[in-house]
Amino acid sequence: MLKAARMRNNKLRSIYLSLFAAFICILFPWSGIALTLRPDLMLLVILFWLLRAPNQCSVGTAWFMGLWVDLATGGIFGQYALAYTITTFFAVIYQRRLVLFSSTQQLVYVFSLLLLSQLILLILKAFAGHEFLGWSYFLPSVTGVLLWQIAVSFGLNTGRHSHGS
Amino acid sequence: MMRGIHQNFDQQQAPAFFARGPSPLARLTFFTALSLALMATDSRLQYLADVRENLMTLLHPLQVIANAPSRLYQSTDEYFSTHHYLLAENARLKRQALTQDIALQRLDILSLENANLRNLLQAKQSLTETSILAEIIHVGRDSFTKKIIVNRGKNHHVITGAAAVDAKGVIGQVTRTYPSSSEITLITDKSLAIPVQIERNGLRAIAFGHGRDNTLDLPYLPANVDIKRGDKLVTSGIDGVYPAGLAVATVIEMRTTQDSPFAQIICTPTGGIENDRQVLLVSIPEVKQETATEPLASENSKLPATAAITPAATDTKPAQSPKPAIAEKPAPTPSANVESRPHAQQ
Repeated sequence: MLKAARMRNNKLRSIYLSLFAAFICILFPWSGIALTLRPDLMLLVILFWLLRAPNQCSVGTAWFMGLWVDLATGGIFGQYALAYTITTFFAVIYQRRLVLFSSTQQLVYVFSLLLLSQLILLILKAFAGHEFLGWSYFLPSVTGVLLWQIAVSFGLNTGRHSHGS
Repeated sequence: MMRGIHQNFDQQQAPAFFARGPSPLARLTFFTALSLALMATDSRLQYLADVRENLMTLLHPLQVIANAPSRLYQSTDEYFSTHHYLLAENARLKRQALTQDIALQRLDILSLENANLRNLLQAKQSLTETSILAEIIHVGRDSFTKKIIVNRGKNHHVITGAAAVDAKGVIGQVTRTYPSSSEITLITDKSLAIPVQIERNGLRAIAFGHGRDNTLDLPYLPANVDIKRGDKLVTSGIDGVYPAGLAVATVIEMRTTQDSPFAQIICTPTGGIENDRQVLLVSIPEVKQETATEPLASENSKLPATAAITPAATDTKPAQSPKPAIAEKPAPTPSANVESRPHAQQ
């Protein structure tokens, strides 16, 4: 039991560390083409932990991290928070099925989740009076899913075989 | 399922179904409501400005850490820059210094002459602008807005509303100040308007950022307006925000269509919005005070320079403008915007 508690603590610590690292990545001085291509690392990390450790990382975590992303982007508070909340909700309700999916199915699902978050953001920005930026706006979803695939092919366990853990 | 049971054996807690806490739907509703409330508060009310400021102070060390790699790269890049490159740059800077020295000598004489003339006319001395040199920390991360963050803030006496200028022209305006950084909205941002004047004929207009491309629009000008391709736009200074006479943009396209009474005019900014590292934050102090205490005297309208820095003087036309008939043209809509738009934050 002690061991389990320690493992749980370790997991929590790695969740916080990875979220922190993702946040630092967002704070990098991105500019130009890198900014248009930059995947939403924060959302990817949150989705990963949702699949891996649904008890420790949930909608609330996503909302909280969304607030920090809002702060970093300098937009209106709550935009990223709302986008992340809704996206993670769809990840959570399908979490049990997702871990049984094949890696391709999972990839498609992650891609649609990334697109969903961008769509929500787009709608919120449209309400705030901004224009659609063209289709290149959705590129971060593509790079994001590529990054996910790269991470999986390098052996990152996205919860698919973690039944015994 | 198996996994849930397993975990609950490990942790000696309630079954996984209950250990998960409130249902996802409940969480979704709760956090969505919270986000919507936050958005409403932040966009309509000003309560969250202080919160944002404090959190940004907290964020600043992280920002420094995040900037460290690129900063390191830049400094090593500079360190290893070639002899040839340095020689070329040195020669270029010397040439630049020479031409600027000549211009500066003339400026000294001219400002002396200006002061004397002002004394003769007993006009108010023109205000001296305070300027702060700042370095760009990073470009705004929101692709919907055109913003940059610079490394000078409230601690360095940067005030909201100061104009941001680089060597070639105006690039934007300070819209938010934090303790050690501030946010500049670029003139190409959709929410920013800047009062301009055509250098060639003194015609006044308001330039709005286009938002998407790095261009500016000159809307609400009639189709027969006297603007040509290549015309230079300079700040008119009637807003009390930007010092008068700074280069803003160059007209690259002027289109008129049959179905619209207005001309479509597209301009590119003169300032190196995308490729400079240093900007100058220029603020005109105490403009409001001066206009409040001093009634708009008739001699003010004779002096375009004085009238230019007085926001109240928007409707006094510059007497020396070569084409006064056209100079009146800027439609009533933009001039109504002058008061509200430059200070407006979205």
